[in-house]
Amino acid sequence: MSRVTQSLVLALLGGAVLWISGFSTSYLNYVKPGFRPFLVGAGIVLVVLGVAGLFIRRKHDHAHGHGVAWLLCLPVFAILLVAPPALGSFAAARSQAPALPRQDPGSFAPLAGGGPVDMPVGEFIGRAWDDDRKSLTGRVVRLTGFVVPARRGEWYVTRMQIACCAADAFALKVLVRGLKAPPRDSWVEVTGTWVPHTFGRMPNGLVYPELAGTGLARVPAPAEPYE
Amino acid sequence: MFGSRSGWDDEGVLPPDSWGRGTSRLPWGFAFVVVLLVVGRLTLTPHLTSPALRTWATVFVAVCVQALPFLVFGVALSAAITAFVPASFWTRALPRRPAAAVPVAGLAGAVLPGCECASVPVASGLMARGVTPAAALAFLLASPAINPVVLVATAVAFPGQPMMVVCRFGASLAVAVLTGWLWLRYGRREWLRVPSHAHGEGGRLARYGEAMRHDLLHAGGFLVVGALAAATLNVAVPREWLDAVGGVPWLAVPVMAVLAVLLSICSEADAFVAASMTAFPATAKLAFLVVGPMVDLKLIALQAGTFGRAFTVRFVPVTFALAVLVSVLFGGLLL
Repeated sequence: MSRVTQSLVLALLGGAVLWISGFSTSYLNYVKPGFRPFLVGAGIVLVVLGVAGLFIRRKHDHAHGHGVAWLLCLPVFAILLVAPPALGSFAAARSQAPALPRQDPGSFAPLAGGGPVDMPVGEFIGRAWDDDRKSLTGRVVRLTGFVVPARRGEWYVTRMQIACCAADAFALKVLVRGLKAPPRDSWVEVTGTWVPHTFGRMPNGLVYPELAGTGLARVPAPAEPYE
Repeated sequence: MFGSRSGWDDEGVLPPDSWGRGTSRLPWGFAFVVVLLVVGRLTLTPHLTSPALRTWATVFVAVCVQALPFLVFGVALSAAITAFVPASFWTRALPRRPAAAVPVAGLAGAVLPGCECASVPVASGLMARGVTPAAALAFLLASPAINPVVLVATAVAFPGQPMMVVCRFGASLAVAVLTGWLWLRYGRREWLRVPSHAHGEGGRLARYGEAMRHDLLHAGGFLVVGALAAATLNVAVPREWLDAVGGVPWLAVPVMAVLAVLLSICSEADAFVAASMTAFPATAKLAFLVVGPMVDLKLIALQAGTFGRAFTVRFVPVTFALAVLVSVLFGGLLL
């Protein structure tokens, strides 16, 4: 791999990273929003190193043994050719367990206002399982997420949650009753009330909190797909 | 060779002798990549829509994109160590006796707030600067596991279980120091490829840039290897298998340890993943947290690229075995 090629590969990768972080919001499909400055910084460093390498010549160029650097083009191929979207129903269907750390039962503030309460799916699940005061009881809530089909024509309104990047994502699912399933992976706003569970202890296996749906609206996918 | 100037600088009318070989060759390979990208974008993109492929690509890009800033940071720090910090600093900062330098270097890992992608180039830079390899290795293993960012993330992921943080710190540091001492006792110099950044021409800044370029091209390539493997496993291994295994106590620890290797999650995020595996006992989760920052697919690829294969085939199994044993010990006593 010649020095010119090395420089071009570095600049190409840096350009791709800048493209998804500086000039669009597609980086949100992969990492947390707060990560943007680091991505922009890394992209700039790569571009600067690449461009500088094109202009600064060295007397003794030992451009050997960097074949592995060709692999740096692979993320660029993935970004440009596949344009990977946010994780959707394929990943959600494979994600295990209703996997939230247990929350402190006293930590839930009472729900304010009279109308439907907009709420992250994760908060709904937390209140459904862990809230001693059962603040969800009788309240109309509105959840935004994408559609994952369940058995017997039912479906989950779903949000993926990431801690760091999409590799550690897990699904937050709420089973929706009483509404016909929209197409898989479409984004919806679903209005409804919590169906209190009848068991006292959490049973083994997978259980999801349930929502008796009353209203459904199709919405565009949000810029921040993860919770 | 070509004398003091390379082919492109020649101002003669005829193409220089070096045309088509040596350093001034036109970048045909890169031109081919660009053509592939443009043609692929126009023709292939509409067909690359299978959910499995897209999920795989999302995870692959996510691992690369998440790790890249840390790698750049680590490489910049490593290059700074070699270009700006005089070698005499390390001989003064670390105890003269190697056996004492190992735990000190391990503890020093607590101040580098990065994940494992940053620690490999930094450890390599330390060795290039004359730090005894055993101490640099202790630093390499300890720093991704016991730095403040990771410990805070662990505390957040395990609310009400401070012992998990204590055990993670203690077990990780113990494994790092033990591995360093083992290397001191049984390691051989010829297994380890110690990179030499020190030579080079130009001023300090030019050397700094060259060291960064070199490390980025090299370590970056291996990072991509690791990301490919991690994304493939992430999509290919059904998660139901895990639930089935989690219930069997003697199987849970090794399974979580192997999982930490395969999933290759950043040490800043792994606590959240471990906490979400509700089916597993606490000791198995601890093993996941101790093994992950020390041994995982992208790290193995990075280490093989940086320190050589002869080193990696010995270092990785020893570290893995120690990490599992120490985790079981800490988990059994404290959790």
